[in-house]
Amino acid sequence: MRRLVSLTAATMAAGLALTACGFGGDDGGSGDGGSDGGGSTSLDLLVPQYSDGTTALWDEIIASFEEANPDITVNLEVQSWDNINDVIRTKVQAGEAPDILNIDAFSGFAKDDLLYPADEVVSEDTFGDFQESFVDNASLDGTVYGLPMIASARALFYNEDVLAQAGITEPPATWEDLLAAGSAISALGTGVYGYGMPLGSEEAQAETSIWTFGGGGSWTDGDAITVETPENLAAVEFMKRMIDEGATQPDPGATDRTPMLDVFIQGSIAMAVGLPPTIGQIEERNPALNYGIAPVPTQDGSPVTLGVADHLMAFRNDDDKQDAIRAFLDHFFSTEVYLSFVDTEGFLPTTKSGAEGTANAERFADFLALLPDAQFYPSTNEAWAATQGALQNLLGQIQTQDAVSVLQQIQASADNA
Amino acid sequence: MTTTATRPAARSTDRPRGGRSRWAATVRALPWLGPTLLLMAGVVFFPAGYMAWTSFRDLSQFGVDNGPAGLDNYARLLEFTALPRVLLNTVVWVVGVVVVTVLLSLGLAQFLDKAFPGRRFVRLTIIVPWAASVVMTTTVVYYGLDPFYGIINAFLVDVGLLDQPYGFTRNAVPAFFTAMGIAVFVSLPFTTYTLLAGLQTIPDDVREAAQMDGAGPWATYRRIILPLLRPALAVATIINIINVFNSLPILQVITGSIPGYNADTTTTLIFKFIRADRQIDTASALSIVNFLIVLAVILVYLKVVKPMRED
Repeated sequence: MRRLVSLTAATMAAGLALTACGFGGDDGGSGDGGSDGGGSTSLDLLVPQYSDGTTALWDEIIASFEEANPDITVNLEVQSWDNINDVIRTKVQAGEAPDILNIDAFSGFAKDDLLYPADEVVSEDTFGDFQESFVDNASLDGTVYGLPMIASARALFYNEDVLAQAGITEPPATWEDLLAAGSAISALGTGVYGYGMPLGSEEAQAETSIWTFGGGGSWTDGDAITVETPENLAAVEFMKRMIDEGATQPDPGATDRTPMLDVFIQGSIAMAVGLPPTIGQIEERNPALNYGIAPVPTQDGSPVTLGVADHLMAFRNDDDKQDAIRAFLDHFFSTEVYLSFVDTEGFLPTTKSGAEGTANAERFADFLALLPDAQFYPSTNEAWAATQGALQNLLGQIQTQDAVSVLQQIQASADNA
Repeated sequence: MTTTATRPAARSTDRPRGGRSRWAATVRALPWLGPTLLLMAGVVFFPAGYMAWTSFRDLSQFGVDNGPAGLDNYARLLEFTALPRVLLNTVVWVVGVVVVTVLLSLGLAQFLDKAFPGRRFVRLTIIVPWAASVVMTTTVVYYGLDPFYGIINAFLVDVGLLDQPYGFTRNAVPAFFTAMGIAVFVSLPFTTYTLLAGLQTIPDDVREAAQMDGAGPWATYRRIILPLLRPALAVATIINIINVFNSLPILQVITGSIPGYNADTTTTLIFKFIRADRQIDTASALSIVNFLIVLAVILVYLKVVKPMRED
């Protein structure tokens, strides 16, 4: 009996140990011991990893900043996109928010009243240099909290050889064209699939938005998140038609974007929606690929694309750090430093001076031309993060369920948030 | 300090009052137990307690505490429509993986207990899955089963078992069973070695005596070996139940990109609540439920199977 009791106690403890989720606490490098002379300020900077070179790029920017501002030190922390949301949440919960954060969505932090308004942490010149559409997308209730940092847009990449093989001369401009082209390519029987539709949890929200925006839909009515609307339903039903009629790769519901684009680059998928960095990936992995870039097909052929902007934001941790934050952000957005970041990472610039000066103007011409027609995720809506999660986790079910019930489930998640 | 203070006090009390002296003995042991207790408090009880506290709070999606929530988080769990399927998956996952693992391990342990040339090498081979990272093992299988470039899929097509590559990891049910297979594979080494250690404590004379009394190999195994293996079997089963129940990485890698909740267990659902739905509080509530379930399963196991009974 005693052994049973002690065994139970031991298993309880073991069970607890294994059930308890990690209790995040960060004690690495947070000590701002002002050992190097009085008056020194240290800024914590948390950024996601855009590419293998991201850390080196930031190190360079920080080094040049610290040289010009010897009394300020910047502590860089780089996290993968997979982890950064968990990391920032844990830090905020523990009261250890970074001073400057680079991430996609800012509105949740703004609603929790954790951020400085943007115009309080950059100079007037820097603030006035942002393109209007991006500033609107970075505002919440009329106040700008996010500093648009980099932009990205989507376009249709198509394999010219395969399209020619199927007798298609023009890249598809409308949904019906896309369906016809996809079906024709799949019917060739060469093992090449027509259209790559990535509805796996990695980025189902992006693929879906491309379709719903292309059909005149929107994820918000300005106030609430609206998933189940006639326009969105029509778009999702057409996506389902693409799947059912075999115009896509098999099992789109569980296909993630990154590995799928590799399949496109290898030549086994004829058409897929890609991003500016996709150009570089093709150069690196299969330079022989004969491909073209066209606007994303829409319901009636009018140009629309999904724009994405990531933001920098400053947390209101300590009021005496505001000047240091302003100094750093102004340094980052100075044309030369800013373009070194945007051009090296291969994104589209969000500032007016950047758009004129970018070294990639020609390379990204197809994307830059689409930017005026870019629509964004409603990321200022507090419920969007949960809606995006629901889209990622649930939308792929259209492969086996009807579109209405899937949209209803996602709407329910949005309403719950 | 404590010991010198308590010792005379313990001596001056009446000897026959056993309860008192046992209490004193415990107090005397405290300085030695202290570090362990501190460690347990720090890494087990505090985080678990904090999680329980969180499950009754209303947290914003970024972790800001908006005050007490009563039982709201638990109520939201009950309203979650996919919960029955997830619970069913959890049962299939735990029972399936543990039963298959233990059965295979019993056979393997018996085999490795016999002397044969090259036994050391075979024993080493069985330990390998344990030495490799679970995520790595799982990722190898995941890529192998990829319909576009997986070598397992290509092999199945080449030998004619499949007409075209099949999305084993792209559909809930086959992906779930694939994950179960991997879970068995990575659980085998520990279980086998625990049972092998148990087998080696059984003295040869017991088996000889059974043979002398005319018991066949099967009867010897069932009536003699298995009962003597019971403590080892109990340890192997309980640790496996806890481990498999709380296992996240295998399912995360194999079924992570599958839409819907048809391939989720309660543990992966906790993860989805945090990452997709941004509901830290609901996830905490589910963690508490998860803990209660595993506790109940183990208590039932101890009660019904009585693995520690000594007869």
